Amino acid sequence: MSTPVNNPTGESGQTGAISEEQPRRSLKFSGAGKTGIVVILFWITMVFIGPWVAPFHEAEFLDEALFIEPGLDDPYPATDFLPPGDVAYLGTDYLGRDTLSRLLYGARTTIGVSLLSTLLAYLIGITLGIAAAAGGRVLDSSLSRLNDAVLSMPTIMLGMVVISAYGSTLPVLIALTSLIYASSVFRIARAFGLDIMVSDFVDAARVRGEGLGWIIRREVLPGMILPMASDFGLRFVYIILFLSGLSFLGLGVQPPQSDWGSMVRENLAGLPYGAIAPLIPALAIASLTVAINLVVDDISAHHGGKLAEKII
Amino acid sequence: MHGDETTGKDIRALQQKFRDSGISRRDFLAALSALGISAVGARSHLASASALALSPRKGGTAIYANNLHGPDDQLDPIVFTSGIDYTRGRACYNNLTQILDHLTLHPELAEEWSANRDGTEYTFKIRKGVEFHDGSPLTADDVVWSMNRHLGADSPSVIKAYFTSVTEWRKVDKHTVRAKLSTPDRDLPVKLGEKQAKIVKKDTTDFRKGIGTGPYILESFEPGVRSLHTRNPNYWRDGPNFDSLVLTAITDPIARVNALIAGDVHLIASVNSRSVRLIESTEGVHVNSTPSGRYGGICCLKNTPPGESDHFVKGMQYIQDRERIVRSILKGHGQVGNDHPISPAYGADHCTELSQRQYDPDKAKWHLKQAGISSAELFVAPVAAGIVETCLLMQANLKKIGFDLSIRQVPTDGYWGAVWMKEPMNVVSWNMRPTANSMLAIQFAPGAAWNDTYWNNPRFGELLQMQLAETDPARRYEMLCEMQRLVHEGSGMVIPCHINILDGVSDRIHGIPVVPLGAMGAYEWVEFAWMSE
Amino acid sequence: MLIRAVLHRIATGLVTLVVVSVLIFLGTSVLPGDVASIILGQMATPESLAALRSTLGLDQPAYVRYFLWLGDLLSGDLGVSKAGAGAGTGGTSISEMIAPRLINTVQLAGAVALIAVPLSLGLGLAAATYPGTRLDRSITLSTLGLVSVPEFLVATALVLVIAVYLGWLPATAYVSGTETGMALLKTLALPTLTLVIVASSQIIRMTRASVLNVMSSPYIEMAVLKGLPRRRIVLHHALPNAVGPIVNVIALNLAYLISGVVIVETIFAYPGLAKLMVDAVQTRDLPLVQACAMIFCSAYILLVFIADLASILSNPRLRYPQ
Repeated sequence: MSTPVNNPTGESGQTGAISEEQPRRSLKFSGAGKTGIVVILFWITMVFIGPWVAPFHEAEFLDEALFIEPGLDDPYPATDFLPPGDVAYLGTDYLGRDTLSRLLYGARTTIGVSLLSTLLAYLIGITLGIAAAAGGRVLDSSLSRLNDAVLSMPTIMLGMVVISAYGSTLPVLIALTSLIYASSVFRIARAFGLDIMVSDFVDAARVRGEGLGWIIRREVLPGMILPMASDFGLRFVYIILFLSGLSFLGLGVQPPQSDWGSMVRENLAGLPYGAIAPLIPALAIASLTVAINLVVDDISAHHGGKLAEKII
Repeated sequence: MHGDETTGKDIRALQQKFRDSGISRRDFLAALSALGISAVGARSHLASASALALSPRKGGTAIYANNLHGPDDQLDPIVFTSGIDYTRGRACYNNLTQILDHLTLHPELAEEWSANRDGTEYTFKIRKGVEFHDGSPLTADDVVWSMNRHLGADSPSVIKAYFTSVTEWRKVDKHTVRAKLSTPDRDLPVKLGEKQAKIVKKDTTDFRKGIGTGPYILESFEPGVRSLHTRNPNYWRDGPNFDSLVLTAITDPIARVNALIAGDVHLIASVNSRSVRLIESTEGVHVNSTPSGRYGGICCLKNTPPGESDHFVKGMQYIQDRERIVRSILKGHGQVGNDHPISPAYGADHCTELSQRQYDPDKAKWHLKQAGISSAELFVAPVAAGIVETCLLMQANLKKIGFDLSIRQVPTDGYWGAVWMKEPMNVVSWNMRPTANSMLAIQFAPGAAWNDTYWNNPRFGELLQMQLAETDPARRYEMLCEMQRLVHEGSGMVIPCHINILDGVSDRIHGIPVVPLGAMGAYEWVEFAWMSE
Repeated sequence: MLIRAVLHRIATGLVTLVVVSVLIFLGTSVLPGDVASIILGQMATPESLAALRSTLGLDQPAYVRYFLWLGDLLSGDLGVSKAGAGAGTGGTSISEMIAPRLINTVQLAGAVALIAVPLSLGLGLAAATYPGTRLDRSITLSTLGLVSVPEFLVATALVLVIAVYLGWLPATAYVSGTETGMALLKTLALPTLTLVIVASSQIIRMTRASVLNVMSSPYIEMAVLKGLPRRRIVLHHALPNAVGPIVNVIALNLAYLISGVVIVETIFAYPGLAKLMVDAVQTRDLPLVQACAMIFCSAYILLVFIADLASILSNPRLRYPQ
């Protein structure tokens, strides 16, 4: 019996049946969850309208003339790392660009790239995970070895190789990130898939003469989608952090585009001066992370707390 | 620089006073600022004043943190390409000649040298009684072997372009060597002071032991981690002051500054211009800001669109807001560039008659219209301080005149092989060379291996050769000036600014020479600096 | 049964190692440039490149070098790093390069694990024991807040406060390899603290989720009905059944501490393996990249295996499968 050994989460049993057993209740959000929804909606709105409500363009170096103090005869005042003021509501960054504008433009890149990558990661991970679980020994072990190989490599190193070879355009970043994170999704999906494939109700379906496609569509997928969704919250923030980690090595999104993680990195030199430029994007990331996870917590509480079980 | 003369005198008087403990450090700084000297300038005057006050003290362990290191750290001088290698090279080895304060040339292992009348033959007297770290004596054989490694098409030497006119190095007797040249080169002795022209032991095959005649003996060397060096007790001149050296790197720029401030290390290379204020406002550490000729530039290849259009290049040159780049990107630690590499740091070789190209969006717009080009792609890597930011400012300013410059940022590793001299527009960094001629020759000579804009000007090539053969200073300057004008007007090079060398130094370290060729007095601190209690 | 499982693990582990080495080989071969062009950098010419390549033995086709490397590896030889040899014939033995760094890496990962694992288990269990209370909520919010802060911000902020302003600890983990006792603890303190913050959040969240999950099982309800105290229920009944996912998260975090901490190693100038691998990729030093990859992959396989073993042993249902 090699199932426990092959099963990376070390769990087995009837996990797949859980959502079927739960009584359907209407979803109720706690106060925290409601706050979370408001924050998420705010940022999603900014993804769509951010560039239009931003006071400046993300790439614009603010004119020094904007900051001349009446009474002081300095015609070229410093424009970098300024505190919040009348011109730049959230201050300026290390190059004298408007932090607020960069934050609003950056919402699109950050949330867009992370969301697309997360969704793609799930699509690839779940598809291959089920294929491994349902497709026989050879397919399973070749996919699993390949997956272990990817998973055992430091993500930043993989990113470095791919970006050095193919450049850091948005499509490359999205493809790279989704492939890297698909490997962890694969692990979970395959574990769930194996559990469900050996369960009694799948046996019953087989006896009834249902095909593999039907079983996957009607038994396997519904059994795993919800539990897997709960791990979405953390995965999403890991992708934002991965992008910021790449920017640490100088491999992030293409300048002058802003993404929140790179904004933290590029303004880090302002930290000893007490500049808020590196803190604002960090707060934005934190607000989104906390919001998403509070909502996820509420959803998983609603589904009997079973959902978080396989999050790794 | 107005009133340099009097200010200089005042400073010297103040230094004298400070030295005699007549005034406190605080008063000294205040007095200097009253003279209109910036905080950074004041600190370096203070440092040199303290240095005057005391004679070099022997002892102590100096810890130096470079900005880069890795598994490719070298001890083979002919392939030195990074600051950590240069520093280790300075500890382990000697040159024939030495370039010190304000680019003056001094004898090192060559006691004296002479050239024949037309400058095609040089004879060097090698110092006697010099020993390698393993006890064997230095002879002409070692010098000939070391120098011949730079010759020949298949030499991997990174400075072999300096020595293309040298046909051979020959031993005359045990302590005399002679270089034969196919064409005259009046700059040869200066070129021998370069960081790669170190003298190693004949027939060395494994360079990782660092056996040379230098001021410090290599104790241990872990590439990408650190090296330890101890004072060479048999050094051939009065010399090394530290008991030992630790040479390492802290690659994160902010961490490097923090390490200096926290006292973990005594010297750091490549201070980010944004961190200067922080260091200057901290007790016990200061920044040496040395104007240099090095620069980060933008290459527009002349043999391919869009750079082949002279109007296009002019457009790129007029869109550079040079003053603002120096002011807000370099935070004042740089000089405005004039689209040729010979900055005022080259001293008398810098052509003063050339007018300064200014930021002029209207002219830029007109030239770009003439060129009929409205968009371009620029490859950027962080190869020089402020270059990425400069390109971002350029992009924003071009946008205002309706030109779409897209920036492709790529990693630095692999950049030189895959992008530089290949993509039609790319960025480049050039360190300062010891003479204006060598700088101009290496980058702009027709057909030169590193002619990175593929600019081909036969007159310029002629001038290079003529200038090397010329001995009359006035004629030499005239030719240099003409060459600078030709590059300024015709090449595909955009040089918005020259970058100061910014070294972060503990106040306990004194006696670092001022040599604008590289970090920490072009790495000469190793031999001359010392540590106070 | 256990022996068969171990043998099976070793076999699949070896296959994974081969897959990794092939992936690394393919991956690095698409990178622009090679060791020689990185050494000469800006100052390379076609002739000097060719000369250096032949001195360093790089003029053979890449796949030949791969099989030579594989052959050496099978005979226990990690090979030689050519990057530092210059135009000489020497080269640093990779095992010599890696050994001190491996020790540093294990030291740091060990220190972090020693603090992070008990701390996060404790906090996670506390949150799970009193779900919905102010304690639970503050633990949840602070872990979520911390998990979303980029590592380099955590590290830099800690250095600024603790090393630069307060001067309590050195700003860089300046490890000479000779520090012992107090000096070693001091150099390790800040990187450890940074990584504890980074690694704990996930373990805390996982512990809380897994335990709460088990808490809704019928046998826990039974225990509640029997009137057992809440802490006893959590520790003696719920925790053993929640071990599987928790040890898996711990294992993956440990694997990350060994291979993925390049940012912390960079900021603290801590000479560990992760930074070595990044440097090796950047210098295209293929044997060195491969050596690091083999270590990381082995560590990963071993840790996941131990985690699985732990969850099998802790779960009676898995220990005696039908």
